[in-house]
Amino acid sequence: MKLVGYLIFAFWLSISVYAYPEFQKFSQMNSGRTVNCAMCHTHPDGPNGAAFGQIGSLNAEQIERLNQARAAFDPGRDVNSPILNAFGNHIIKTLGKTKFLEYRSRPKELATALGTSSDLDEDGVPDAREYLEGTHPLNKANGNPWLLFVHNFKRNKVHVVLIFLATVVTIYGLVNLLRGAHAAHELSQLKK
Amino acid sequence: MFRAFSDFLSARFPVEKMNFNAMVAKKEVPVHKMSWAYYLGGLSLFFLIVQVVTGLMLLFYYEPTVSDAHASVEFITKHVSGGALIRNMHSWSASAMIFCVMAHMLTAFAMKAFERPRELIWVTGVIMLLLTFTFGFTGYLLPWNQIAVNATKVGLQSIEEIGTFLPQSLSTLPRLIRETIQGEASVGQATLSRFYALHVVVLPLLMFAVLALHLFSIQLHGMSKGVDSEVRKTEKFFPDFMIKDLTLWGVVFLVLFIVALCLPFESFFSYPLSEPYNPLGSTPEGIKPEWYFYFLYYPLEMLPFWVVFLVTNAAVLVLLLAPWIFRGTSRRTLRVLAVVITAYLVLMTVFGEQIYYIVKGGQ
Repeated sequence: MKLVGYLIFAFWLSISVYAYPEFQKFSQMNSGRTVNCAMCHTHPDGPNGAAFGQIGSLNAEQIERLNQARAAFDPGRDVNSPILNAFGNHIIKTLGKTKFLEYRSRPKELATALGTSSDLDEDGVPDAREYLEGTHPLNKANGNPWLLFVHNFKRNKVHVVLIFLATVVTIYGLVNLLRGAHAAHELSQLKK
Repeated sequence: MFRAFSDFLSARFPVEKMNFNAMVAKKEVPVHKMSWAYYLGGLSLFFLIVQVVTGLMLLFYYEPTVSDAHASVEFITKHVSGGALIRNMHSWSASAMIFCVMAHMLTAFAMKAFERPRELIWVTGVIMLLLTFTFGFTGYLLPWNQIAVNATKVGLQSIEEIGTFLPQSLSTLPRLIRETIQGEASVGQATLSRFYALHVVVLPLLMFAVLALHLFSIQLHGMSKGVDSEVRKTEKFFPDFMIKDLTLWGVVFLVLFIVALCLPFESFFSYPLSEPYNPLGSTPEGIKPEWYFYFLYYPLEMLPFWVVFLVTNAAVLVLLLAPWIFRGTSRRTLRVLAVVITAYLVLMTVFGEQIYYIVKGGQ
């Protein structure tokens, strides 16, 4: 029984975790916003531990996916690491592990390398800009407020026009209702 | 004694004015340079109505349990048709309501709207201001995310700190009060249940009762004169003022709708603060109350607790007794006081953090 325990421990050590807090620190310093591991990882506290999305909780199939992601040294390979979220996997796919590790000493350049075409949460703010501004690239309610406003306004133009018309018609109706009620009251006073 | 009380009541609730003609049809609204301030009360009422309507809609999906509260809010935002819009309208209008209530109170103070026989209008207004803040405090916890729970903990902790300034026999009382509000040793299910009950039942009932008295008294006595000089021009409350008020409500509704549709309230927070509360995890940086508590929060961070506690309580007392304390004060002096208070509120709300860093030596 003890032997099984040692084996599990040895296996756990063999898949020990590599976290790269340089990018988190840069994003936080650059934006002034609080940033945690959830920007790229499945778990907000990072890959260490036994909770969902952390190394200690992975089954055999997930470990295989993890190893495939770790072996993705060149860009363009589809990766689906269970400890990374869609943005984390996107970084590895776009840059490859080798290039990604090079940016550890120059975290600002990661944004340039990612480009501006990718917007995983489709909130109108490119993922690279979300990284620079410390907002979440997978949360469409989190991003640069002005850019979110402009993007959502363009997306909802029809709704805005409809609500404008509905409000104008409602106010017009209510104003005339008030005027009518006033006229009826004046009339009743005159009759008296 | 009874006679004096009876006279007081009959002056505040004159039976001869309790009819449609006096309260609506014949009511006149003064027109002068401060007339814009007469619309602030109506705007506060408008935002309260939005709060009630959107709050009732959120009630259909919200689960007040520590295990499901955050998930239910996420479900509303991501999966319910129009859920994000309703939630944003609730959040934005809560802030707008607090802003309007504060602006209404300051302008009413500057215009000496508490003059005899309008003392009860003022006192009910102050009570509603306090109720509005309590709405904000209790509502803040309901999404059960990191900022909600941690900020509530800080808020409740400050109640206990009062104990250190009380005599020995009373020193444990604040802790008992905190535990009564909290319902258990730490902020948990009992706290959420209590805050939920307060936010959706107790406070609305209290608010409606006080609001009814407030509006009834305003209709009885009409709008206050507002200026020291003689009012030369007036307009009819019904329908002229009501039409303007209604049109303003329409414009504000449109703005609120567009803002709620296009600008998520949460976009101003760091995303780790919106994550579900984790009692075992570390407290994220940047835990702060809502912006409307900054005028209290930053002084609490910079000054000794007892100073802020005493000043706050004195301020509430002065506000409640303003009709009697400032009976003989001119509107000019009141206006200067209102400007000073406004400057303080704006300064602490907008630049509170910078002032904090300056005072604390850039820590």
